[in-house]
Amino acid sequence: MNKKIILLVVLLAVVGGGIYAWAQYDRKVASTADLDARESVTAEELLSAFTADEQQATERFVGTTEQVIEVSGTVRSMEPVSADVTNVTLETGNELAGVVCEFANTDLHPDWRSGATVKVKGICTGVLLDVVLVRCTAAE
Amino acid sequence: MNTEKQGTMNSLKNICIALSMAPMALMAQERFATRNGHITFFSHTSMEDIEAHNRKVTTVWDATTGAVEFAVLIKAFEFEKALMQEHFNENYMDSNTFPKATFKGKISGVSAADLKKAGTYPVDVTGELTIHGVAKPVTTKGTITVDASGAVKASSEFDVKPEDHGIEIPGVVRKNIAERMKVTVALDYAKM
Repeated sequence: MNKKIILLVVLLAVVGGGIYAWAQYDRKVASTADLDARESVTAEELLSAFTADEQQATERFVGTTEQVIEVSGTVRSMEPVSADVTNVTLETGNELAGVVCEFANTDLHPDWRSGATVKVKGICTGVLLDVVLVRCTAAE
Repeated sequence: MNTEKQGTMNSLKNICIALSMAPMALMAQERFATRNGHITFFSHTSMEDIEAHNRKVTTVWDATTGAVEFAVLIKAFEFEKALMQEHFNENYMDSNTFPKATFKGKISGVSAADLKKAGTYPVDVTGELTIHGVAKPVTTKGTITVDASGAVKASSEFDVKPEDHGIEIPGVVRKNIAERMKVTVALDYAKM
């Protein structure tokens, strides 16, 4: 009797472990829309932070693990970069640098145009010439 | 921040700032840039395929001299599976310590004059690729295409061996990750 119980427990543990391992392996990247923003800043503030001290801004906005930030600003341009991805660039007051937000077209707000005031949630990945956010969604 | 990477960013910034203030004589030079370049890497093994895309590649190319520079944010590579993306950043690329990859080199085989007429131009690309803080020389082939409207596109494919850049793959997953990653570059350049 005891052997049967032990065998059943082991079997359940193996099956449970297997299901958990597969779920972890097959886990899709989380939608930004489902995650809370850790910081809320304007596009000007975000660029200024990276311009003033890239290392400090990286620690704050990129973090050591993936984190969502919310950025508000005015749309400078909207540029399709592939069949299903559009970059929305926010004004920063600096012609040479912006905050570039990568949207899947399905997550793009239908009413957004150049000049619109918007709020974006996304994953900040750092700065090249622009501050770059990926997996963006409209915050409101 | 790694001084080398900071220097690369400053270098790209300096190019843009210099261009904005360049005297008219310099404007005759043919410079192209994009901030939306697309790099894909692909690993194929019998165990699984791994693919990631980065559509935020920043590059400046001076077609007069051939000089070209790229910068890429490692955390901007996007995977379908969350676990792959986490392992890529945390276990292999150590992207908190090495947040950028860069390439600095030269494109030869096409002249600034060629770019004024439609055509497909095979080119040679040579330079230094820095990934994970380790620089290695790269020589590969590429293609520059100019269409009827004058739009300039560039593409290339080459292999990268993780171990060449000090990226250690643990034995337990060695069979899941190709020894050589296929890297594909696709750029829609705009004239500066």
